[in-house]
Amino acid sequence: MVKEIALIGIVGIMSYGGSKSAFALDVPISASVTGSCVISVENNGTYGQPNAYKLSTAPADGGQMPITRVDVTLASAYKVKFTAPDSFSSSPVLNDVVTFTGDTEVSAVSDATNMADYETDKVEVDMSDEYTLSATGSTWFKHSSTANNGGDRAFPSGNYTAYVTAECIAI
Amino acid sequence: MYRYLIFLLLVGNVNAHQMSPTYPEWSASYLDGISNTRVRLFNKREDVKYYEVGVFDKDMKPIPFVTQYHLRGVNFNQYATFDIFINDKYKKDAVYVCTESMLTEVKSSGVASKICSKFK
Repeated sequence: MVKEIALIGIVGIMSYGGSKSAFALDVPISASVTGSCVISVENNGTYGQPNAYKLSTAPADGGQMPITRVDVTLASAYKVKFTAPDSFSSSPVLNDVVTFTGDTEVSAVSDATNMADYETDKVEVDMSDEYTLSATGSTWFKHSSTANNGGDRAFPSGNYTAYVTAECIAI
Repeated sequence: MYRYLIFLLLVGNVNAHQMSPTYPEWSASYLDGISNTRVRLFNKREDVKYYEVGVFDKDMKPIPFVTQYHLRGVNFNQYATFDIFINDKYKKDAVYVCTESMLTEVKSSGVASKICSKFK
């Protein structure tokens, strides 16, 4: 009788242990990582006027270059394209044809090893500069823009606005 | 302490436009022959109050689609979700969905931003 009770007890303990593992809960820890691109404007641009017929963002001309930062969370998933302005979006009535020039350069990177080639590998087409963002992290770009009024005629007085277009496109 | 203050000054003025996911996917909607997807935008640009959403083919030509507002007001420091519906006959041509900042002349930073996610 004692042996039977002991056997039932052992079987009970074993089955309890077995059922415990059979009903063990796996607690899921899930995550959904979605890549994204962030375009940040770190410095507003302003035109300086070194002479009557020229507007320039160059600091030497009294201007300020706009600086943008692009952050990507996936490597080789985005290209970024900057297009310098080729006209004013707002201005007084102009008295001649204005010629625009512009450029974009990498000014800083968050990963010096993997982003070192960004500037040398950029593709320039007309007023656009295109970079493939092959590493995750942040890249800072500075943009220059110059507007020359035709015939060296003085720009009419008033407010002038022109835009750099920054595009971050998934590839 | 000084470093912290300098950092605050540097980041305090940053205006940002963010969009995710990088690679959205179409899923069947509650309407026959219509698929939908969803993208999310975060507006941290103080100089931008409106964003335009668009769907484009591989050459960046517009593709017909439906959303509640093509041009949508998004307040500073706010998220916005765009639900986009497309007729299945256009789905295979749709390659990009983009959001673009609509700049106003006043208080502009001088940079227009556009972010495009890609359908794969």
